[in-house]
Amino acid sequence: MKTAMWTVIVLGIVALALGAGIVQGQQAPTGEYKIGVLEPLTGNLAVQGKLHVEGYEIMRDLINTRFGGVMGKKLVFAVGDAVDPTAAASEATRLAAREGVKIITGTFSSTLCGAASEAAARQNVIYWETSCVDPRMTRRNLKNVFRTEIDGTGFGWYNVEFIAKHLAHRLGKKTSELKIAYLSEDSSYGQSVTESARQRAKQEFGMQEVGPEYYASSTNDLTPVILKLKATNPDILHHIARDPDAILFWRQAREQNFQVKAVVHAGATGYGTPGFGKAFGNDANGPFALLEPGPGFIIEKLRPEGQAVERAFREAVKAKTGSDVLAGGHQLAAGGLWVLKLALDAAKTDDLDKFRPAVLALDLPVGSAVNGWGVKFDETGQNSNARVQHYMLQWQNGSLVTVWPEEFTTHRAKWIPLGPWDQRK
Amino acid sequence: MTVLPQLIVSTLLLGGIYALIAVGLTLIFGVMRVVNFAHGEFLMLGMYLALFAFARLHFDPYVTLVLSLPISFAVGWASYRGVMRPIVHASHNVQVFTTVGLSIALQNLALVLWTADARFLRTDYYAVVVRIGGAAFNVAQIVAFALAVALTAGLFAFMRWSYIGKVMRATAQDRDASALMGIDTDRVYAITWAVGIACVGAAGVLLAPIYPVYPTAGLQFVLIAYVAVVLGGLGDMAGALIAALAVAAVEVAGSYTIGTAWKEVLYLLLFIGILVVRPAGLFGQRGAEALGT
Repeated sequence: MKTAMWTVIVLGIVALALGAGIVQGQQAPTGEYKIGVLEPLTGNLAVQGKLHVEGYEIMRDLINTRFGGVMGKKLVFAVGDAVDPTAAASEATRLAAREGVKIITGTFSSTLCGAASEAAARQNVIYWETSCVDPRMTRRNLKNVFRTEIDGTGFGWYNVEFIAKHLAHRLGKKTSELKIAYLSEDSSYGQSVTESARQRAKQEFGMQEVGPEYYASSTNDLTPVILKLKATNPDILHHIARDPDAILFWRQAREQNFQVKAVVHAGATGYGTPGFGKAFGNDANGPFALLEPGPGFIIEKLRPEGQAVERAFREAVKAKTGSDVLAGGHQLAAGGLWVLKLALDAAKTDDLDKFRPAVLALDLPVGSAVNGWGVKFDETGQNSNARVQHYMLQWQNGSLVTVWPEEFTTHRAKWIPLGPWDQRK
Repeated sequence: MTVLPQLIVSTLLLGGIYALIAVGLTLIFGVMRVVNFAHGEFLMLGMYLALFAFARLHFDPYVTLVLSLPISFAVGWASYRGVMRPIVHASHNVQVFTTVGLSIALQNLALVLWTADARFLRTDYYAVVVRIGGAAFNVAQIVAFALAVALTAGLFAFMRWSYIGKVMRATAQDRDASALMGIDTDRVYAITWAVGIACVGAAGVLLAPIYPVYPTAGLQFVLIAYVAVVLGGLGDMAGALIAALAVAAVEVAGSYTIGTAWKEVLYLLLFIGILVVRPAGLFGQRGAEALGT
């Protein structure tokens, strides 16, 4: 009797363990698989670089502990510091030659990814970009280069999608009646987002345009630009800004009482950084920024596999930072590393000749991965705009909250049209 | 042209800011013959001083302004003793490398201590503007402009009529003869450097309620301040003020009429054009750069 009871208990424990394994769908990884992580850890870009490394580490630990590692092995990192393009190239070479990695991921900045990916190509190493948005990176016919995030043209594509599908009817206008003013800082990021937005707005929706006006982000005065904008009276301002110029513009636009019905930005700079809200408090209310999902995001709208990894990621971030609000660097790095895991698991090898077809064959709908992303790479190694689901966030009472697409969020866009400066409360 | 009043106001206010930075730079060059490439970083430190005094001690920037003068003076004195004193008689190459090195060190120190984030000192009155005749005047910029004019006038008077000012001018004209006359030139340089840093530190405090604060914030102003100093005539404070206003006028008018992307090209063309006609600058004295050496 006693033996029978013990047999039942042991069998029960085994069944529970197996059940847990089935739920996780994975076995514990054996052996190690090392990749290179290349980010700016010193210098001007270090804040974002460190956030990205933290995002990679959070996702790496999740992959190892809850999702079976990569190709059945425990994922480990060799880290390099890409303080500038020269260092990015030399560190990419070191990671490949000395550390022996076959895959390098990084480097987030458009100033670094070109140099890093070329150095990786010379070493015949796969370069897996998770954040940099310079469109030129995937247009050099380098077979080793892949990017999980949309590029600058993707930002423009989404911004126009939002303007056409959401703002136009909220403003009571046809898309062809909308007058869009384009203002941007003059980096490759700003120009690529702006030019792709202009092209799509004009060709697909027949929107009218003002500008574009480009400026150096280190400018000391935007009053003349604001005066020109006032004279043209646009409906919407499409403004791609870095941090200092976004703050300068917002202050001077208020001084000049520049009234526009909506301000739309893209990316984790300027209006898309927490610093903008800290700078202005509730006076920041109104502008939109295209980003990864923020507060209000409804995880239940994702596919089951997407929900599982998104929940696990959010729990891990909260355990690490104590905050429910995710940083863009965490989201991009973790989202990109998760897609790399899916690619390696599918390819079962890091041999570029077999890895590349496996990556191009990945076909996951929106909602399948972290950030609600889907996956479909094209021949250039660029993940598809439509699959890398992006979200429009709006500054509302000191926070950036998710407002679009509406099916993914509990929040709704406010102040459309924006109205007088002192009434955006 | 309804925007003309606003363009004029913008020129005056922006020019005032450039002048504020340029006067300390031209003072240091005028007396010591040292081009201070770390000038922008001392401006940045002044901005952070105002930011932290406001955030942690709730000091209004104009209260911090008063405190910043002795603090910046002390920082200037210490940096002279620690960094500049050994190289003040060295070649220009050594001076350039030293001040560039100081600039890089201060920038990176700020990055380590305060990160690269752009912050903004938002006072209760940051959005207060005075509207006269179709032009909007930002209050903080009016104060900065008024103090730039006052500072230039004050330094001009100090250099012209005070005993220390006369000693400084004597040292600027002939370092060796001054020493023979019993002037402690080392002390004069220390005072000059410290006064120059106090000026730019105060400028930083005045700029903090107007512009975002971040470790490289000084660079965007100081390049234009160099242009103003050279354009006005090396060591000439009134010249620096007028040149700063001229640069601002070209920037504002160029941005409005041609495009913001062209404004650097335009003021640098003005710079080159004036130097072709007047190599010593608008009010400069030929050979000023070699005086006192």
